[in-house]
Amino acid sequence: MNEFSQILDSVNLGLVILDADLRVRYWNRWMESRSGIAAERIAGALLFDFFPSLKTPAFIRSCKSVLTFGNFSFFSQKLHRFLFPFRPDSSFESRFEQMQQSCTMGPLRNDDTTISALYLTVQDVTELAAYEHRLMEMNMRDGLTGAYNRRFLEKRMEEEFNRHVRYSRSLSVVMFDIDFFKKVNDSYGHLCGDLILKDIAGEIAAMIRTTDFLARYGGEEFCCLLPETDLPAAQMIAERFRSRVAEAQHIYQGQEIYVTISLGVAALTPGLSSCHALLKKADDALYEAKRSGRNRVVAC
Amino acid sequence: MDNESLLVADEERDILQELMNIAFGKAAAELAEVISIFVVLSVPSIKVLKAAQLPEYLQEEIRDFADISIVEQNFWGRFKGSAFLVFPAGAGKALISLLDPEHEATFESGTFEVLEKETLMEVGNILIGACVGKMSELLGDVVTYSPPKVVVENEPRGIIPKNLFDPEYTAIVMRTVFRFEERDVRGFLFLVTTHDSIVWLKKALAAFIEHYE
Repeated sequence: MNEFSQILDSVNLGLVILDADLRVRYWNRWMESRSGIAAERIAGALLFDFFPSLKTPAFIRSCKSVLTFGNFSFFSQKLHRFLFPFRPDSSFESRFEQMQQSCTMGPLRNDDTTISALYLTVQDVTELAAYEHRLMEMNMRDGLTGAYNRRFLEKRMEEEFNRHVRYSRSLSVVMFDIDFFKKVNDSYGHLCGDLILKDIAGEIAAMIRTTDFLARYGGEEFCCLLPETDLPAAQMIAERFRSRVAEAQHIYQGQEIYVTISLGVAALTPGLSSCHALLKKADDALYEAKRSGRNRVVAC
Repeated sequence: MDNESLLVADEERDILQELMNIAFGKAAAELAEVISIFVVLSVPSIKVLKAAQLPEYLQEEIRDFADISIVEQNFWGRFKGSAFLVFPAGAGKALISLLDPEHEATFESGTFEVLEKETLMEVGNILIGACVGKMSELLGDVVTYSPPKVVVENEPRGIIPKNLFDPEYTAIVMRTVFRFEERDVRGFLFLVTTHDSIVWLKKALAAFIEHYE
């Protein structure tokens, strides 16, 4: 048995050789086990017959540039996620439907340096991608409530602000804050306060569109970014938030607790110089809602 | 400049220039024909420098650009060196649709920058591969490449890291301006050959012209 073929069949890496017409010439054991396709079955067949999803302009372009220029092509997980639709190892299935892959393609030359075939390597990077995903989530979200964190909101807000100004679209912001939250903490303890923060974030998050953003802005203060929404619409949404929270019952150690929120609403208007100015407007409106008696919506 | 007269004769420089013209012409034609990427490559210019002078030289060359990104890829053969593609900031965004029209959807914050960077690397890989590949082919050589790397990302010009080059080396710098026809993106391609491939290059150039004439 050939030494190299033993290595090729035992490395933790998918190896494929394709002829210039993209028929499979070699398919190592790693590929057999991940794909469930035996080498004898796929040998000589067009790769696209077994993997029609690979027939994309990007993949064909890479094959052609490898075969024509002797280029190497790199298919990073970040840009392509995967080439071959394989199932991931079970522990990652909840996050990824497919095994995440980092792939390389390069030319195989004859003795006279002409290129007659190309090789592909397939590396399973699912675990790495899962860790990265988790890190990014942690970087974006508030650990307690699951809402986005302030940093993410500010970044997102700047992007949305610039986009909405550029295309003259409406954009609104709702800032809200739990009324007498300190009292809740003082009477029932911080764990109860945490529970209420979580409940409220969950309730509001369930009411907004996927294009909206809810973020925990400060201790008991939240901010909701509503793209493509004008002031009257945002006011209505804020009013729905208010009544939903006022009706919601929180149960902590058998006790029923009710809280209310005060809300400030602001929309993008011509002349508003930055997203900070928009936030400031909403914050001023929130202050006014507090001052004028709480459990209400004030727009400006 | 001293270096120029010392190491590379005018005639050799002319041959190199001619070779690059042919190589880049072929590269552009094949990029269009094979993968429908339409790129215009200007007539290249050649300089021989001490590597220590490179950052300063590059800076001067790209002074019209505000912020830049640079993709680096090394190539190995007897023809050996580094290729640098200098893009103006934001070029990645404009090029995403060049590679993958379906990708024009919206992105989560953060993801877009990653995509932009990856796009620069992919475009760099294609362009560098085509140009260097054709050159080495004409010189009778076969090269392999390192994966492309973004070495400068949206930095103000002037920040070309000094440590990119070994200062003692003599470098032949080949510069060309590229422009993607449909995307209004321009940039520079610099090929910097290493010291030890210059001797070989001189021989290869002589062989090339003999064959050519």
